[in-house]
Amino acid sequence: MRGADRTAGAVLLAFALAFGAGALKQYAYWAPNGPGPAFLPFWLGVVMALLAMLLFVGALRAKEPGDDWLPSGEGLRRLVLVLGATVVYVALLGVLGMVVAMVLFLVVLMRVIDRCGWPLTLSVALATAGSIYLVFGRWLKVPLPTGMLGF
Amino acid sequence: MDFLGNLALGFSVALTPFNLMMAVAGVLLGILIGALPGVGPPSGVALLLPLTFGMDPTSGIIMLAALYAGTMYGGTITAVLINTPGESASVVTCLDGHQMALQGRAGPALGMAAIGSFIAGTVGVVLLMLVSPALARWSLAFGPPETFALMLLGLTTVTLLAGDSPVKTYISMVFGLMLAMVGFDVISGDARFAFGIPEMMDGIDFLPVAIGLFGLGEVLAGAETAKSGALVQGRYGLRDVLPTAQDWVRSRWAIARGTVLGFAVGTLPGAGPTIATFMAYTLEKKVSKHPEQFGRGAIEGVAAPESANNAAATGAMVPMLTLGIPGSATTAIMLGGLMMWGLRPGPLLFEKNPQFVWGLIASQYIANIMLLVLSTAFIPLFVRALRVPYAVLMPIIIALCVTGAYSLKNSVWDVGQMLVFGVLGYVMKKLGYSPAALVLALVLGPLAERALRQSLIISDAGIGIFFLRPIAAVLVSAALIAVLVPVVRWIWAARRRASAPAAP
Repeated sequence: MRGADRTAGAVLLAFALAFGAGALKQYAYWAPNGPGPAFLPFWLGVVMALLAMLLFVGALRAKEPGDDWLPSGEGLRRLVLVLGATVVYVALLGVLGMVVAMVLFLVVLMRVIDRCGWPLTLSVALATAGSIYLVFGRWLKVPLPTGMLGF
Repeated sequence: MDFLGNLALGFSVALTPFNLMMAVAGVLLGILIGALPGVGPPSGVALLLPLTFGMDPTSGIIMLAALYAGTMYGGTITAVLINTPGESASVVTCLDGHQMALQGRAGPALGMAAIGSFIAGTVGVVLLMLVSPALARWSLAFGPPETFALMLLGLTTVTLLAGDSPVKTYISMVFGLMLAMVGFDVISGDARFAFGIPEMMDGIDFLPVAIGLFGLGEVLAGAETAKSGALVQGRYGLRDVLPTAQDWVRSRWAIARGTVLGFAVGTLPGAGPTIATFMAYTLEKKVSKHPEQFGRGAIEGVAAPESANNAAATGAMVPMLTLGIPGSATTAIMLGGLMMWGLRPGPLLFEKNPQFVWGLIASQYIANIMLLVLSTAFIPLFVRALRVPYAVLMPIIIALCVTGAYSLKNSVWDVGQMLVFGVLGYVMKKLGYSPAALVLALVLGPLAERALRQSLIISDAGIGIFFLRPIAAVLVSAALIAVLVPVVRWIWAARRRASAPAAP
C-alpha cells in the first residue's frame, strides 16, 4: 500500500492544485457583497493539497512496503470479469433494452464466473429481470430503456 | 397537551394499510439486507430509495426507517451463525455471538438480540419523540453562522469513527465537498466545473454516487473471493430462540445500558451505530462481575451491542430531522432522499410537515413490534437466505444498482456515473479511504457552502462571526477539537513507532 499511497498523494496533489487554480481562474473569488463562487473551491483545493502532501510524505517515510492492494491470480480474474461484464451491460442498455440486457448479464455472470447450472441460472435471471420490470417499469412507471426489440 | 394530539396524528398516518404494509416490507427487506454479507444499511437504503420516488414521502420514509431498523438486526444473524458481520454495526456481536453458536446456543443469542433490539428501539423512539421537538424549537434561532458551524461539526466528527488513517478520511471528505461544488452556483449562476456537459451543470446527484460507492463498490470487493462461510447448524424454532431466565437476568442491565449509551452516541452528528456497539461492549466488559467470560460466549456481549445499535439508529434520526445534519452514512442518504422529495429537514419540518414527522415517529413504534415478531418467528427463513450463494446474489445486486441509478432521472448518464463511483468505491475500500465521509460531504456540501457564504455576507468581522456568536463559537470549537484529536493521536502513534526499536 506504500506505493499506492505515494501515487495517490501525487495524483491528489496535482488534482487539488488544478481544482483550486481552475476555480480562481474561471470564477470570482469575491463578489461585490461577499464570497464568490470560487471562494470555497479555492480553499478546498488548498486543504486537499495539504492533505495530499501529508499522505505522500507519510508514505515516503513508511518503512514496510505493506500488502498488495490489488488481488492477483484468480481474484483478479474474477474482479476483471465482473467489472467488464457490468461495463458491457451498461453499454448495451440503450441497444438491447433494459430487460434483455439484464437477462444476458445475469446469465453470463452466473455461467462464466461461477459455473452455476443452466436451470438455476435461467430461473434466477428470468425471475430477477421479471420482478425488476414489474416493480420499476409497471408499478413505478419508470420509462426503462427499450432496445431494438421494443421492450 | 398537543404532544398527544401530535402522536395521535402520527398513528393515524402510520396505521393506514399502505403505510403499515411499507413498514412490514421495510423491516423484512432490512433484516434480509442486513443478513446478506456485502450489502449493509447504506447500500440497502440507497438501493431502495428509487422505489420510494413514486410514493408519498411519508410512506417512503416509513419504509426506509423500518428498513434501517431491520438491517441492525439482520447483521446479527450473520454475525452469530457464520462469524461474518452482515454490516459494520454487528462486528462486535461476532465476538460472543459466534462463540454462543459454537456452544449450541445460537437460538438464545439471536432471541436476546431481538428482544434487546425491540426494547432499545422502542425506548429510542420515546426519547426521539421527547428530545426532537425541543431541539427543533431551540434550533429555530439558528442563523447561517450556527448552521454552518453545526455542519462543520458534523463533517469533522466523521473522522472520529473512521478507521486507522485520519488523513485518508479527511481526503475522502474534502473530495466529497469538491464534488458538491460541481454544477450551478445558486448565488452567482456560474456553472462550476461542468465542462459544458449539460448533465454536470445540474450538479452531481448523491444517489448514483451512493449506489456506486456502497452497492457496486462492495460487490466488486466481494467478487474477488468466492465466499462460502461455514454455517453453524441448529434449530431455530420459536421455542429454541427464547432465552432462559438466567440469560434474561444477566442481560437486562446490559440492554438498559446499551440503550442509553447507544441513543446518546447515535444523536452525535458523525458518530453512529458502529461506534455505539464498540462502546457498549467495552462498557459491559468493564462493569461485568465476570469479564473473563467475554469473548467466550457471554450473552451480555450480544445483548449490549445489539441494543446499542438499534438505539443509535433511532438516535441518528434526531439530528437528521431537527437540524438537517445526518448522524451516519445511512441517515445521510435518507437526508438526500428527503431533499429529493422536496422536504427541507431542519427545525421547520416539525411545524410545516407534522404528518410527516409524527407519522415517522409513530411508524417507528410499529416497526419495532414488527421487528420483534418477524425476527423471532422467521429466523429459520432468514437462515435459509444465508445459504443463497454469492454467485447468485452478486449479479442481482449489480442489476439493482444499474436499475436504481437509472430510475432517478431516467438517465443512462447517471448509470455511467454510478459505474465510475463503483470502481472508485472499490479502490477506496481497498486503500482504506472512507466512502461514508465522501457521501456525507456530498450531501452537506451545498448546504454548508450556502450557510458559509451567507454568514460572511452578513458578517462585519470576516470569519470572526463564527467566534463572536456564542452557539456558533461552541460548535466551531468542538469541530476544531474533533480535527485535532486524530492529529494528536496520529503524531503520538508515529512518535512511538519511530522510537520503538526496529523489528528483528
